[in-house]
Amino acid sequence: MSSKGNHQKLHSWLEERSGLSEIFRFLREKKIPQHRHSLWYYTGSAILLFFAIQVITGFLLVFYYNPTLEGANASVARIMTEVPLGWIIRSVHSWSASFMIAFVFIHLLSIWITKAYRKPRELTWMSGVFLLFASLAFGFTGYLLPWDDLSLSATKVGTDIPRSIPLIGVWVTKLLRGGEDVTGDTLTRFFGFHVSILPIFLLAFLAVHVYLIQKQGMSIPVAAERKDEKMKELPFWPNFVYREMVVWLILTGILFSVAIFLPPSLDKAADLMAPAPEGIRPEWYFLFLFQMLKIFPAKILFVNGDTLAVLLIFLGVVAFFFLPLIDNKPAEKKGKIITVIAYLFIVYAVAMTIWSLL
Amino acid sequence: MRKKKKFIVLFVLVISFHSFFLLKPDFAQQAAQKETTGIAQEEESQEKIISGPRNIKESTGIYVFVAWMWLVIFVLIYILMLKIKEVDRLFEIRFISEKKK
Amino acid sequence: MKIKHSLFTRRQFLNGLLGGWFGALAASLLYPVLKFVFPPAREPDQVILPFSDFKDMELNTIKSFAWGSKPGLLKKNDDGSYTAFVAVCTHLDCNVTYLPEQRKFFCACHDGWYDENGTNIGGPPPRPLRQLYISIEGEELVITREGVE
Repeated sequence: MSSKGNHQKLHSWLEERSGLSEIFRFLREKKIPQHRHSLWYYTGSAILLFFAIQVITGFLLVFYYNPTLEGANASVARIMTEVPLGWIIRSVHSWSASFMIAFVFIHLLSIWITKAYRKPRELTWMSGVFLLFASLAFGFTGYLLPWDDLSLSATKVGTDIPRSIPLIGVWVTKLLRGGEDVTGDTLTRFFGFHVSILPIFLLAFLAVHVYLIQKQGMSIPVAAERKDEKMKELPFWPNFVYREMVVWLILTGILFSVAIFLPPSLDKAADLMAPAPEGIRPEWYFLFLFQMLKIFPAKILFVNGDTLAVLLIFLGVVAFFFLPLIDNKPAEKKGKIITVIAYLFIVYAVAMTIWSLL
Repeated sequence: MRKKKKFIVLFVLVISFHSFFLLKPDFAQQAAQKETTGIAQEEESQEKIISGPRNIKESTGIYVFVAWMWLVIFVLIYILMLKIKEVDRLFEIRFISEKKK
Repeated sequence: MKIKHSLFTRRQFLNGLLGGWFGALAASLLYPVLKFVFPPAREPDQVILPFSDFKDMELNTIKSFAWGSKPGLLKKNDDGSYTAFVAVCTHLDCNVTYLPEQRKFFCACHDGWYDENGTNIGGPPPRPLRQLYISIEGEELVITREGVE
C-alpha cells in the first residue's frame, strides 16, 4: 500500500511544477465518435507507430552506416553480416518504411472519401499533404543510401525527372544531386536530408497537424452528420487508446514477422561509370508515376513528352493540395464527382502499378 | 462467445501467415550454404549479400523469438480486451449518472 | 490461511498484468537492440606475421604490429627471445611506447611507467601490460591471445 502513497506523492510533485494533469484531463474529455466509418480513425496513429519504429531503427543504423561513396555499401554489408542481428534492424527499417507509406496512402484516401477535409479542417489537410511529401522524400532519400547498382540507377532517373519542369526544373535537379550528375556528393546530401532536414521538417508539420486535430476534434462523415440522433462517443483516454494499442500490437507483430522472414538483400556497390543495369525501378509507391512517364511518347506536337507528363503530375499535385477549397460544396454534385474521382484514382494507381511490374 | 471467435480467427490467421514464410526454403540460406557447400559457394554469393541468420543457433533463436513475440502479443490483446470492457463499463455508468443529473 | 481483505483490487491486478506483459514485450524487443548497440569485441584469436620482418631486429628494440584494432609491440630481448605486448596502457587505454635507454615502457597520458617485462612500476597503471603468446613456426611468427589453444 505504501507504493500507492509514493505514487501519489510523485504525481503531486510533478503536478505542482508542470501542470500535466491539464493535458490528461483534456485527453479524458476528448471524445471519439463511433459510427460506421470509425475504423478509419485508427490509421493516423498507425502511421505514428511506424514512424516511431523508423526513428528508433534509424538511430541504430546510423551508429554503423558510413555516408561516403567508398564506405556506404560496405557499411551496410557490415551491418547485415557482422553486427549482431544487424540484418533484423535493417530489415525492420526497410519494411516499416513501406508499411508507413502504405498507411499514409490509406489515411489520405479515407480523408478524401469521407471528406473530412471540409471546413474547418482545410489546414489539417494541407499540413497533411506536406507530411505526405516528407514521407515520400524519406523513402526516396533512404533508397539511395545502400549505394548499390539498383538504387543508384533509380536515383539517377528520379532526380532527372524534375528537370522537365520549365524554368526551375534544372535547379531542382542540381539541388537534389549536389551538381549536374549523381556523385558521392549526392549520397552525402541525401543522407543529410534523410537524417536531419526531413525529420525536422516532418516534425514541424506533424505538430501543426496534431494541434489542429486536437483543437477541432474528430470529423464525422457527412452521412453520419445528417442523422440528428446523439451519436455514441468514446473518451480518447483511456477507451480509444486501449483499442489503438490492440491495433498497434497486431501491426508490430506483422511487421516483425515479415521483416524477419523476408529480409532485403544488398547488391554489390554501385559503379558510377558502368552502364545502367536492367530492370531499374523505384520503390513500389512511385511505380504508378513511373509508369505514367514511361507511356508518354517522346514528343506530343511541339512539346517534350516528359515535360508534359511532369506538368500534368504537377497540376494534379496542386489540385490535390487545394482539394478542400475546390470541394467547398461537398454535399452537392461537385462533391459527388470528387468522391468518384477518388475511387477512379485508386483504380488508376493500382492498375498503373501492376502494369509497371509486367 | 464473439470475443472467443475473434481470438480463434486471429490465431488461425497468424499461423497461416507464418506457414507461408516457413515453407519458403530461402530462409537461413546462408546457414544452409555454409553447412553443405563450403567456402567456394560463399565467394560466388558475394555479388549479392543475402540477409539472414548465419548459423543454426541463430535461426533456431529466431523461431523461438517470433513464437514468444506472438504469444506475448496474444496475451496482451486478451488483457487489453478486459481493460476495454472495464473502462467502457465505467464510462457508461458515469455517463448515465451524469445524464440523471 | 485465509486473509480478511484482498492485497490488491481487481483493477490493480489487471493493471499489473498489463504493465508486466508490456514489460516482457519491451524486454524481448530490447534484447536484439542491445546486442546491436554493444557488438562483441573484435580482437583476433591469432595474428600470423612473416618472421622475416622481425628476424633482424636489434636487441632491446621494439617493432609494432597490428593486433586487431589495437597496437601491438614486439620486443626483442637481450637474450634474443621475443615478447609480444598489447601496447595499450592499463590505466585509460592510451597507446604506450618503449624507451630503450631507460628499458621502460612509458605512457604519456598520465605518466605511467612499466619495466621491460611490462610490469607496472610507476604512475597510475593498475596492472601490467598484456602479454601475448609467441611461437615461431618456420617462416611465420604466430602471435596468440591469452587463453586460446
